[in-house]
Amino acid sequence: MSGSMDQQFGDLDPVTFEVLRNTFEYVCRRMTVILQKSSFSPILSENLDFSNAIYDPELRLIGQTANCPVHLAAMHFSVQAVDRKFGIETLKPGDVVVLNDPYEGGTHLNDVTLTMPVFYDEELIGFAVSRGHWMDLGGGGPGGQGFGTHVAGEGLRLPPMKLYENYEVNADLLEILLRNTRTPHYIKGDLQAHMGALLAAEEELQTTAGKYGKDVLLNGMSQMIGYTERIVRAAIEAIPDGTYEGADYADSDGISDDKIWVRLKLTVNGDAIHVDFDGSDPQCAGAINSPYANTAAAIYTALQFFLAPDAPPNAGMFAPISFSLPEDCWLNAKWPAPVVGCTTITSGKVQSAIWQAVAKALPDLAIAPTCADANWFVAAVRGKDGRIDVFSDIPAGGWGGTPYNDGLNVTLDPLGNCTNMPAEAAELLYPIEVEAFDLRSDSGGPGENRGGLGARFRFRFIEGGELSIETSRTLEGSPGVNGGGFSPVQVLIKERPDGVRKVIGGTSEDGSWTSPLLSSHKFGPGESFEFLSTGGGGWGTVRSRDPERVLDDVLDEYITMEAAERDYLVAIDRDTMTVDEAATKRLRS
Amino acid sequence: MWRVGIDVGGTFTDLYAVDSDSGSARTGKVLTTPKDRVLGVISAISEAGLSPEDIDLLVHGTTTGTNALIERSFPPAAMITTEGFRDVLEIGRMHREHLYRPYQTKPEPLIRRRNRFVLEERVNAQGVVEIPVDPVELEPIIDMLLKREIQSVAVCLINSYANPANEQAVAELLRKALPDISITMSSDVKPVFREHSRFSTTAVRAVLLPVMATYFERLEIALREKGFNGRLMILKSNGGMMSVEQARTRVEELVESGPAGGIGYASRISRMTGQTKIIHTDVGGTSFDTSVVEDGQGLITREYEIEFDIPVAVPMLDIRSVGAGGGSIGWIDEGGSLRVGPMSAGSEPGPACYGRGGNCPTVTDANLVLGRLSSDLSGKFRLDLDAARQAVGTIAEQLGISIEDCAEGMVRIATEAMAQAVKIVLASRGRDPRDYALASFGGAGPMHACAVASALQTPKVVVPHYSGVASAHGATYLNLKHDEEMFYFTVLNEAALDQVARQFEHLKARASTALLDQGATNRDVSISHVMRMRYAGQTFEVDVSVAEQTVTAKELGAIAEAFHQTHKQEFGVRSEDFPIEIVALGVTAEAPIVDAAENSAAPWPEGQGDPSERDVYFAGDWSKALVYGPNTILPGQTIAGPAVVEDAHSCIILPPGWTARADDFRNIIMEEQA
Repeated sequence: MSGSMDQQFGDLDPVTFEVLRNTFEYVCRRMTVILQKSSFSPILSENLDFSNAIYDPELRLIGQTANCPVHLAAMHFSVQAVDRKFGIETLKPGDVVVLNDPYEGGTHLNDVTLTMPVFYDEELIGFAVSRGHWMDLGGGGPGGQGFGTHVAGEGLRLPPMKLYENYEVNADLLEILLRNTRTPHYIKGDLQAHMGALLAAEEELQTTAGKYGKDVLLNGMSQMIGYTERIVRAAIEAIPDGTYEGADYADSDGISDDKIWVRLKLTVNGDAIHVDFDGSDPQCAGAINSPYANTAAAIYTALQFFLAPDAPPNAGMFAPISFSLPEDCWLNAKWPAPVVGCTTITSGKVQSAIWQAVAKALPDLAIAPTCADANWFVAAVRGKDGRIDVFSDIPAGGWGGTPYNDGLNVTLDPLGNCTNMPAEAAELLYPIEVEAFDLRSDSGGPGENRGGLGARFRFRFIEGGELSIETSRTLEGSPGVNGGGFSPVQVLIKERPDGVRKVIGGTSEDGSWTSPLLSSHKFGPGESFEFLSTGGGGWGTVRSRDPERVLDDVLDEYITMEAAERDYLVAIDRDTMTVDEAATKRLRS
Repeated sequence: MWRVGIDVGGTFTDLYAVDSDSGSARTGKVLTTPKDRVLGVISAISEAGLSPEDIDLLVHGTTTGTNALIERSFPPAAMITTEGFRDVLEIGRMHREHLYRPYQTKPEPLIRRRNRFVLEERVNAQGVVEIPVDPVELEPIIDMLLKREIQSVAVCLINSYANPANEQAVAELLRKALPDISITMSSDVKPVFREHSRFSTTAVRAVLLPVMATYFERLEIALREKGFNGRLMILKSNGGMMSVEQARTRVEELVESGPAGGIGYASRISRMTGQTKIIHTDVGGTSFDTSVVEDGQGLITREYEIEFDIPVAVPMLDIRSVGAGGGSIGWIDEGGSLRVGPMSAGSEPGPACYGRGGNCPTVTDANLVLGRLSSDLSGKFRLDLDAARQAVGTIAEQLGISIEDCAEGMVRIATEAMAQAVKIVLASRGRDPRDYALASFGGAGPMHACAVASALQTPKVVVPHYSGVASAHGATYLNLKHDEEMFYFTVLNEAALDQVARQFEHLKARASTALLDQGATNRDVSISHVMRMRYAGQTFEVDVSVAEQTVTAKELGAIAEAFHQTHKQEFGVRSEDFPIEIVALGVTAEAPIVDAAENSAAPWPEGQGDPSERDVYFAGDWSKALVYGPNTILPGQTIAGPAVVEDAHSCIILPPGWTARADDFRNIIMEEQA
């Protein structure tokens, strides 16, 4: 920075600005603490599949704790939908609008958004917004995983409606929610937790307005947006102008066996970015179409890693970035396209395509794509007494190699930041036995910095049950960048009690392939489900990887001796467990 | 004879000593000796003019374990676990620390993958052994342990909380083959479900055992050589103390050994002032620590992490830290905003005003510019005002504001960060700051205490005498304290309570025995009972305190109501829609180590003259402030801000609109005028 920064924040003094910046961050954190601790369904309290945000009176995002980055921009469209439906001037204190409609600012039906206007001295000073993944809202399969060809099969679709007025719940609407879910016992508790978060934000914003004055608060909100926008524009300015292409695909939509492609051109022009999705595939029949808001969220999230990783996530991020989608496109879903896989499969593919484009623009700064799937499964399990219970988890894959280090092992994809369910917690609650959740050797893409490893996840149905899962990367693994290699493919396996194994999704040993979208796949008593997730792609060529690092990987069994020789061109003496310099030189020449 | 508390911190080793006969006290402060912290302990004793042979009780808080963990400076340990669970320590909970940082890495696991070995064995969730341990399978592992000269092994098998048989079988075989190594079983460390936190806690014990054995041995030898013949006690993370013999084996309970003394002192303030709810704050050079004390007890958490995703799941004081201290650096970020911390100038090179080569503007520099800190800091060494103005000036110029306004802005941003840390602690435990008094410790604490309290709307601030060595001081007031915990999973109902009462008896016997072994007498031991409960389907538990008599009398309704109320307090909600589950039972045994009657008021020394006057900058303007020296505010006297109160180890800032008075115990009590 050079010269005086007088007037950097308009007429707001720099100290008040910084205090407000911290305050907005704190408000969102407090919302998150309350929602996490008081929610009842494990997907919120244990997996943290939710986000909280505050908006200014002009519906611009001011701050957000995104446990799920994929919610980031999507919430923005939800708030706009509230305005279109009611007109913000008609909203009153204590109104809470509920919404999950994928074609009106929502993503998949399970992500329910609650929006509350906040007033001070009878004047609107902003909005508090809380979005969470609700375990089940009905539909053809548990947790919305029906995998049909119509959104109606995925659950209850909620247009913007007032769930609360004057802080009182609309009992009729609540009753409809309770009667359209497999898990009614969670609804009231989770709703109470969301309300706790919204009320906390209301109180904090009102306190801030009281302390600094309403005008200072509103001015601070505007300046906050400008602040992030300046950081984002400066970062874009540093990228060479040009057009860079990226592509990735989902293996299947579960209906046909065709690949479904994201193809994009990312154009950097001065301090702005435009992403053009012309050439991406049309809307598909199966459940992986992405509504507009979800696609937008994936774009912003993917770019945030390289433009402003530490800036306050607010509307300032959006202004310098534009995008265009074809009318008929799986990334621009229209009613009645099924969309349940949009967050867990499709977001990852958009983000991976963008990272590959970024790698062409900034080869020294890019990181290789991740597994790009959340690998979300939902299982219905039968107990000894015949009772059916439903549980779900997200056995993650790895992240791509970076210019500085190997990728992260088994970490949820960038789209979320959820946690897993501990095996001992799951076994206590459900009639299953978790047989493995460990690192899968050789599952990272080779490179100077290799991809992080994927996992081997396996559990046994003690009394039988069924399982639905949607995933991809079974035809090819995660691509490398700058000469880095692909990771291996993901595989879905069923193992019988006698040890016989069968591939039920992905490529079998005989080369045949089946779709990795399974809907209510049956498992008998004692049968196990095994999922091999993939790691991230490699960064840079393997010849540049220090042979001693390869040896270390062998000693830790991150890679096998065979892979060291085949993929990394490093020979290791089996007797001394040291690098065979001469043989390595031959391999690498 | 002297009773001595010693707190070995990152920068300073603090000492507080009290003569059990006369009640007179001494303090000492020397630089910590990181290469061999024993040296600092010994020199603190001699600096205070004490001889080890005159000490009958030495209570010691140590960060040796914490440092070893963070720096990974311990001999390599190994783990033996169930096939399929080799990477629990490495995968953790599968999440990442920073949402958007592309090049982030995760902390190195405490035990490397090559030293984590697996066995085909299985106990199921009901505790049934499905696959017993095969000794043949262990043989190549034993060979490898020998070859790699492993000194310590963690045995962490899945579901061992439900039945330790397989872990015990492995331990037995290891002991026979390798009699000289340490063996730690997860079912022994923490017999509670959730493999990640149990394995991680077990790994912490396994890696620290050799480190702490060496440290305690050196410490004891050094003290005994100089004639020390008293009792050596160690502070533990739960806010109590234990004998050094216990500490050698329960090393995972030493992670918050340092700060525990501060909580001890906050508890004492509670007794002295009758204030039952206290926010404890401690501002050092690099960080601000805060926790909550209620009815003389620090709030306890089981969710502590040493580093991201490395939990130690033993009961610990719930202490949170943020990077805001005297050395925190002011800077301007890429978006043009004035930021303070988390980078710190530390003690080397230190703030610009120390004149040791630092040129970044720190909070200490800002306080000096504002006249809140005097140039001759406690008469120890002179601070360089010009250097401070120059450092602050560099960013003031970029912002286009005066040096004074920039300095005041830096202090305000730092205090707001401190206040927000307190608010997060309170909010996450369902507490309202307006119900509390703020106790301020640490060299830089009292300078910011009133501003932090204002931001919190906390009505009262207490700065104790000797606030600069509060942790060492508090150490001398703590009790012997021992926790026992067991997994016990059931729905809360009449039938379950029979079993619960029986299990509590076992736990109580174990905990009492532990205290008696450390010299407590039966008469002094008090027991508290905790049931960890949740609504069915939830994955978080709350600790519900229940009276023993409530359990034995099977007062089901009272227990359920206690749970509902605790849940409402911690999480803000309660519900009658769900059955209640018990997940674990815990017992805490406590016994005082010194006679409580000794906690009397210290004699009041002579006042030391009239206040002087200096210019101090508040709210955008210079004002004349009276400066009071040590002990110059007398009981019954009330002074009004703006004022400064200085003593040997700290400096209190009393802003305009605040008043201060001294109580009989020489605490300074400050209140904001309505």
